[in-house]
Amino acid sequence: MLGKGEAAGQAHLHKDDDGGEQPSGVVKLISAEGFEFVVDKKAAMVSNTLRNMLTSPGGFSETREGEVRFPEISTPILEKICQYFYWSLHYSSGKETSEFQIEPEITLELMMAANYLDT
Amino acid sequence: MSSQKKRTLKIDAFKHKVEADPKFFDKSWKKLEDAIREIYNHNASGLSFEELYRTAYNLVLHKHGPKLYEKLTENLKGHLKEMCRSIEDAQGSLFLEELQRRWADHNKALQMIRDILMYMDRTFITSSKKTPVFDLGLELWRDFVVHAPKIYGRLVDTLLELIHRERMGEVINRGLMRSTTKMLLDLGSSVYQDDFEKHFLEVSASFYSGESQQFIECCDCGEYLKKSERRLAEELERVSQYMDAKTADKITSVVDKEMLSKHMQRLIHMENSGLVNMFVDDKHEDLSRMYNLFKRVPDGHSTIRSVMASHVKESGKALVSDPEKIKDPIEFVQRLLNEKDKYDEIISVSFSNDKTFQNALNSSFENFINLNNRSPEFISLFVDDKLRKGVKGANEEDVETVLDKVMMLFRYLQEKDVFEKYYKQHLAKRLLSGKTTSDEAERSMLVKLKTECGYQFTSKLEGMFNDLKTSHDTVQSFYANLSGDTDGPTVSVQILTTGSWPTQPCTPCKLPPEIVDISEKFRAFYLGTHNGRRLTWQTNMGNADIKATFGGRRHELNVSTYQMCVLMLFNSADGLTYGDIEQATAIPHADLKRCLQSLACVKGKNVLRKEPMSKDISDNDTFYYNDKFTSKLVKVKIGTVVAQKETEPEKLETRQRVEEDRKPQIEAAIVRIMKSRRVLDHNSIITEVTKQLQSRFLPNPVVIKKRIESLIEREFLERDKVDRKMYRYLA
Repeated sequence: MLGKGEAAGQAHLHKDDDGGEQPSGVVKLISAEGFEFVVDKKAAMVSNTLRNMLTSPGGFSETREGEVRFPEISTPILEKICQYFYWSLHYSSGKETSEFQIEPEITLELMMAANYLDT
Repeated sequence: MSSQKKRTLKIDAFKHKVEADPKFFDKSWKKLEDAIREIYNHNASGLSFEELYRTAYNLVLHKHGPKLYEKLTENLKGHLKEMCRSIEDAQGSLFLEELQRRWADHNKALQMIRDILMYMDRTFITSSKKTPVFDLGLELWRDFVVHAPKIYGRLVDTLLELIHRERMGEVINRGLMRSTTKMLLDLGSSVYQDDFEKHFLEVSASFYSGESQQFIECCDCGEYLKKSERRLAEELERVSQYMDAKTADKITSVVDKEMLSKHMQRLIHMENSGLVNMFVDDKHEDLSRMYNLFKRVPDGHSTIRSVMASHVKESGKALVSDPEKIKDPIEFVQRLLNEKDKYDEIISVSFSNDKTFQNALNSSFENFINLNNRSPEFISLFVDDKLRKGVKGANEEDVETVLDKVMMLFRYLQEKDVFEKYYKQHLAKRLLSGKTTSDEAERSMLVKLKTECGYQFTSKLEGMFNDLKTSHDTVQSFYANLSGDTDGPTVSVQILTTGSWPTQPCTPCKLPPEIVDISEKFRAFYLGTHNGRRLTWQTNMGNADIKATFGGRRHELNVSTYQMCVLMLFNSADGLTYGDIEQATAIPHADLKRCLQSLACVKGKNVLRKEPMSKDISDNDTFYYNDKFTSKLVKVKIGTVVAQKETEPEKLETRQRVEEDRKPQIEAAIVRIMKSRRVLDHNSIITEVTKQLQSRFLPNPVVIKKRIESLIEREFLERDKVDRKMYRYLA
C-alpha cells in the first residue's frame, strides 16, 4: 500500500494555494449507514477532495456545518479510511514507517473510495 | 503506476450500477448547471460540495468527460456574455470598476467550479491534454470579455487616459489601475504586453517627444535635466505602483530616448547653460545630474568626456599661451594647479570618480602643458618659490600636499630632463644662499622625484646635499686649525663637486684684499688635506655680511659677494663712476648692473646714491656713498634683483645645453638596444628609443637619426649590405 503514501505526497503539491491555511478543529464524516466519524481537520485534509471541500472559497454547506456525508461509502471502509488518514499523517512527518494493514476482502472497495477521495 | 490497475477494476463495478438510466448525463449536468448558476449568483451556501463532486465524479467515471467539458465551456461562455453586457453598459469611470468587480466574481466562481470538477481536471483533462478548468475560464474571459469588441478598445483607452491624467498632475485611483493591469497579467504576459504595454509605450513615446520639445525651447540645460530626472523617477514609481516590473526598463528606455538621446547634443552644447558653462561655473549638482542621466544614453559619457577634454584643452591652451599670464611663473603654475583641482573636484563629486574621465583629464593636461615649452622651467620655479618662502601657514602636511600636486603636473611633462636642469639650478641657488626654509621639504621633494624617475634622476641632486654637509665640516676644521688668528673677515666655504652642480662659466671677480688673504689660507688648508684637487672660486654665488655706519648709525648688511666687492670700494672713496667700479671689481657687465640696481635703486635699501636718479643703470652713472640711509632694522638684507625667469638668451642657452645632454642619452639608448637585438630596422629603433626615454623626455626622431649616423661613423653600428634600412651592431 505504499502507492497511497505517494498519492498523499502528490496531493500536497497539487493544491498549494490553500496549503498556507492551518487547518484547525475537527470535521464530522458520515458514512452511508449514518455512522459519524469525528476526525481532526488536519487528518481529513490528507484527502485532496476533502481538503478542497473544506477550503473552497464559496462557502458550501460542508464548510459551514463541518460535516460531510458520503452516501456511497460504507461504515467499515470509512473507518479504515480514517485510520489511514492518521497513519498517513504520522507517516508523512517522516519519523518512521510501519505497515498499514488492509484486509484483502475490502481492498477493492477501499481503492475505489481512495480514488474518489483523491488520497 | 498502480492507478491503471485500479481504474479497470472500478469501472467494471460501477457500470452495472447506474448505466441503466439513459438520462443519467442530462440529469447530472442539470444539477451541475444549476449549481454553477448559483455560484455566479453568490448563492453557493446551500450547495453540497460532496454531492456536486460526486456527480461530476460519476460523470467522468462513466466516460462522459468530453461531453461534460463541452457543456461546461458553453455554460461559462453564457455567463461571460452576460457579464460582458453589464460591463459594456457601465458608464464613464464606472467602466473599470464594473470590469474589476466582474473579474473578481468570475475569479472566485472559477475557483469553486474548479474544485467541484476537480476529478475531471485530475483524470480526463490530463489524459486528453485539454486546458484545465481554471485556465479555460481565464481564456474564455480573455476572449469573450477583454477582447469583446465593445470592451477591448475602451479598456486600453481608459487606462492610457488615466495615465495621461496622472502625468498631468491629477490624482487617479491607483488601486484600480493596479488590479486592472494585474488582471491582464493573470491572463498571460502576452495579453499584458499586446493589449496594454505596447500601446502604453507608444503613447508615452509621443507624449515625451512632445514634452521634451516644449521643455527644450523654454528651459536651460540644468532645468531641463532636472525635469527629465523627475519624469524618469515618476515613471519608475508608476511602474512599481501598478505595472509589471518588466515594464520598468522599457518605459525608462522610452524616456531616455525621447528626452535624453534625441536632445543630447543640443543640451550639451546649449548656449549659456550647456556643459561648458557648467564646468566654468562649477555646477557640481547639474554636472552630476548630467553624468547620471547620460549614463543611460549610448555615447552619453563619451560625449561628455570629449567635450570636457576639448574644453580643458582649450582653456588650458589659452592659459599657457597668454603672454600676460605667463609673465609670473608662480602665478602661472598656481593657475594650473587650481585648474587641476577644479576638475579633480568635479570628477570626484559629480562624475563618481570615473576612471575614464580621469584619464581624459590627464591626457588633456598633458596635451596643453607641453604646448608651452617653458612649463618645466615654470614648475621648477614654482617649487623654488614654495621652498624658499615656505608655504604660507606652512605646516609640514601642507607643504607635502603642495609638493604632491606639483608632482602631478610634473608627471604631465614630456621634457622631464629640462625640468631636472632647471631644478638643479634653482636648488643650487637655494642651497648656496641658504634660503631653503625646510630641509625636510627639500628632502621630501627629492624622494618624490626619485620615486617618479628613478635614482639616476636625483643622484646629482643628492650629491649637492652631501657636498654642503662635508663643506660644513671642512670649514669647521679649518677654523679649528687657524685658532688664534681670528682678526679680519671670516669666510665660509662651500666645496662643490664639479658635475653635481650646474656649471656656470664664471670669470672670478677681483675680491677685496682682506678676503683674498683668508681665501688663500683656506685653499692651502684644503689642498693640504686633499691631494690632487683643484679649487676654483665661484664668486657669483656667495654672499656676505658686512658692518657699515651711515652718519653714526650702525647697520649690518647682508649682501651678495658681488655687492660686497662693490661696497668695499666705498671704504676708500665716496663717489665712483660705473666704469671705475667695473674696472676695480671685474664683475661681468650684466651682473654688475643688477647688483648696482639693487644697491641704489630699491627704496628703503638704497645704501648707495646714484646720479642721475633713475630706475635703470647706465654706463655713465656715478654712485655715491649714501650717508642718509636709514632703516628701522639693524640688519638689512639687500637682495639682488632676482632673475626670476630666464631671459631670452639664457633660455636659449639652457635649451641648447639640454639638447646637448640628450645626445649621449640617446646614443646610450641606441647602443643598449642594438647590443641586445644585434640587427634592427630604423623604425623599430626609433620606437624603442622613444619608449626607453619617454620617462625623461620625448626624443625627436630626426635627432635619433642623427645619433645613429654618428654611431655609424664611430663604427658602433653599420648598415646592412643588402637591406639599407637595417642596422647591425658591431661588437
